[in-house]
Amino acid sequence: MLLMTGVSKTYRNGSVALRNIDLHIKPGEFVFVVGPSGAGKSTFIKMLFKEVAPTTGKIYVDGVDVLALTEKEVPFLRRQLGIIFQDYRLLPDRTVYDNVAFAMQVIEAPPLKTRRRVMTVLELVGLKNRANAYPGELSGGEQQRIAIARAIVNDPILVIADEPTGNLDPETSMEIMRIFTGINESGTTIVMATHDREIVNFMGKRVIAIENGLIVRDDAKGVYGYES
Amino acid sequence: MSLSTKEYFVKETVKSIRRNQLMSLASVSTVALSLLVLGFFMVMVFNTNHIAKYLETQVQISVYMSDESSEETLAATEKTLRELPGVTSVKAITKEQALERFKERLGDQSGLLSSIGDENPFPYSFEVHVDKPERIAELAPKIDELESVETAKFGQEVVENIFRLTKIMRVGGVLLVLLLAMATLFIIVNTIRITVFARRREVTIMKYVGATDWFIRWPFLLEGMFLGFTGALVAAFIISQAYGAILSSVHSTLAFFPLLPSWPLLLYINVSLLVIGTGIGAAGSTISLRKFLKV
Repeated sequence: MLLMTGVSKTYRNGSVALRNIDLHIKPGEFVFVVGPSGAGKSTFIKMLFKEVAPTTGKIYVDGVDVLALTEKEVPFLRRQLGIIFQDYRLLPDRTVYDNVAFAMQVIEAPPLKTRRRVMTVLELVGLKNRANAYPGELSGGEQQRIAIARAIVNDPILVIADEPTGNLDPETSMEIMRIFTGINESGTTIVMATHDREIVNFMGKRVIAIENGLIVRDDAKGVYGYES
Repeated sequence: MSLSTKEYFVKETVKSIRRNQLMSLASVSTVALSLLVLGFFMVMVFNTNHIAKYLETQVQISVYMSDESSEETLAATEKTLRELPGVTSVKAITKEQALERFKERLGDQSGLLSSIGDENPFPYSFEVHVDKPERIAELAPKIDELESVETAKFGQEVVENIFRLTKIMRVGGVLLVLLLAMATLFIIVNTIRITVFARRREVTIMKYVGATDWFIRWPFLLEGMFLGFTGALVAAFIISQAYGAILSSVHSTLAFFPLLPSWPLLLYINVSLLVIGTGIGAAGSTISLRKFLKV
């Protein structure tokens, strides 16, 4: 699903974010990426959807050479991905329904299919009865569930989440993780950057620890921590 | 592009213009204002050209004959003049006709003429018209050297001034058009930038969910084109009304003044204003979006 070989990133100001990363993630895996702030997690995540390109190395997503994609082809890579952020990134002036449908309108899906699919995913994240509410009327956990619905509405092969529970209390975080587990069980690969020790330990999934731009640990059924 | 996508673009455009009513109004009026200046300048350039051409055709060479010329000499000179290259017409003005004309011109004051007595001071002359005004300067001296020709005169300064004026109008016109176009572009760029900035979050999200740049661009492009087109429409309307008013007032006071008729002048000007306005609107939104599309 995801293959990285010899990936390094040095920013223009000279700071080194990643050093010679080799990584393989198989389809259907659930992978946590942990590490202290500034370790290179964000750079790593952003490379998966080509917001940031590595200085050296190769990245393949589902067999596609990401770096060989032209600017015009990048949107088509992103249509196969579901991206979730810590701050939800919803449109406050659109209803829950429209926020999710937006992702399908943008890729020009037929309206009928859009309606059916949006209601299906809203049910999946438990927000079917809030379809006409505005994000501002909902709690943080509910807003993140909208973002998750938007990320999966186009049936992505890979869901990328950058600190999705960073703004949520532990109870709500567990709710969110249940949704992610469901998505993963349906076969979708998930890569999640997180600081949440409890969640990582509870889930018992593969953990990749990044520190100083290096993978310092990669455990199949890991716990939180990045001291090698 | 599917129907639902087109519908989406139009909806987004309308929404954006509504949300930024004040700013949209500001850009429409600025576009209208600059295009108005541009349009009036075009009216002036076209009319100056027209007047210049008209005056050029009015320029003639007046050939004054000496009083001693015999009938035969006059006839021979007329024949020679007719055979010169580029001469289209030669009209003989007898001494009596010249005096008559002068009396006419004096009108009420023709009594003044009695002071010069019975002698007719006007010479026999020919009015020579040529096909191209450029020819006058070379023909006049030739005619001047003909036997029994006193002088051959033409309004050299008038012709040269007209040429100079039209040249300045043409060059100045192009410069002014460019300047105004750039000013208008700048204003549209800023308006659209404000609407893009207000919606940068949306643009970013669109990029993340895999919208193509063109999909993101269309609503903004439509918005810019709409603002430019509307501004041009206002300018075209004002110019049409104003030119109509100018024409009727000129016709009633200075009937001989050769202004161009409304049709097809206003058609040319209005169509070009609409094209320029819409084009600048499209260019403006493309420029202001560029930065935000890089995610």
